[in-house]
Amino acid sequence: MRLCDRVLPEVLYLPLRKAGTWGAVLLMPVQRRHSLDYLRIALRREPKLVDVYRHFLAVCEALVLRLRVADGLYHRCELGEGSEAFGAWLASSRPAMLGTFHIGNSDLTGFMLAGQARRRVHLVRLRVGNSDDTDSLAARFGDLLHFVWVNESSELLFALKEAGLSGDTVALQCDRPDYSSRSETFEFLGSPRRFPFTIYHLALIFERPVILSIGIPAGRAVSTVIASPAFEPLAGEDRREALARGRAHFKAFLCRVEDYLRREPYQWLNFQPL
Amino acid sequence: MPDPLISKLKQLIVETLRLEDIVPEEIPDNEPLVGGGLSLDSIDALELVVRLEKEFGIKIATSEEAKSALASVAALGSYIRARADPSRLPS
Repeated sequence: MRLCDRVLPEVLYLPLRKAGTWGAVLLMPVQRRHSLDYLRIALRREPKLVDVYRHFLAVCEALVLRLRVADGLYHRCELGEGSEAFGAWLASSRPAMLGTFHIGNSDLTGFMLAGQARRRVHLVRLRVGNSDDTDSLAARFGDLLHFVWVNESSELLFALKEAGLSGDTVALQCDRPDYSSRSETFEFLGSPRRFPFTIYHLALIFERPVILSIGIPAGRAVSTVIASPAFEPLAGEDRREALARGRAHFKAFLCRVEDYLRREPYQWLNFQPL
Repeated sequence: MPDPLISKLKQLIVETLRLEDIVPEEIPDNEPLVGGGLSLDSIDALELVVRLEKEFGIKIATSEEAKSALASVAALGSYIRARADPSRLPS
């Protein structure tokens, strides 16, 4: 993929990607089924095969962009409307817990934070077989990025502790409960669904704010960051009340995520059962 | 007479993890803290470790160390006694 991107002009490479995407749709039955299940809910109609193709193509394009950014392509993140808290936090030197979702260019947000804002970030990620893009992006941003692998490290808790106590920012994905110690149910896309909720517990333990965000495509070299207000732990607050505030904070952002997905359903890149 | 460090640890566990239905004295000395009768999970363990490090000025560096330290209140007491500055231990 990377080689093609380097040697082929876009006029040839784009049709090749589209053909390859059709191949993936046909050869990846599990992902195709998850895509169909998700699209049925998001589109509110029975999806066609072309819908699945568009969904797969969105994943392909997000991956290509990550590889290009890793190879040095100029790309910047801009703050979207209603994301002032994220801007205020970026301008400060405070560490935070950043929660994000498998949507659009969200994966790039952590890297752009490191590259654009020179913030040190610990990214909590699931290591999968094809993590070349992640490895390359990490190499590009060097010491500003650290990875905590949830499925590889027997030292996960301690890696989290070190990250939490380091004064650096920690970024976690908030849409796959599989590896989450604490998860909770929220209404999303018409039904109650489980989401990881560990980020709020960590925020209370390490006394730092939670900001949720997604990065959405906004042109050739730009992603727009849509972010929540900050959830701030309050000194002396009862834990149950703090977690109730956390639930309301998460729920409010999920509503914004859902609004976006209703408009851009193919940008949900989480090919796991909802 | 109960060991003051063990009593303090039980108090800290209840207080840090907000175990409202548990009286510190009821926590057995030799029962596993994580996965035992207290039903603590990994986030509880993390919160406890962060608090213990602050309280006693120690550093629990690996999950192996944590596993042995959190094996029971008695094990935690021995772990802390061996590593903490004596001035930070209750007398």
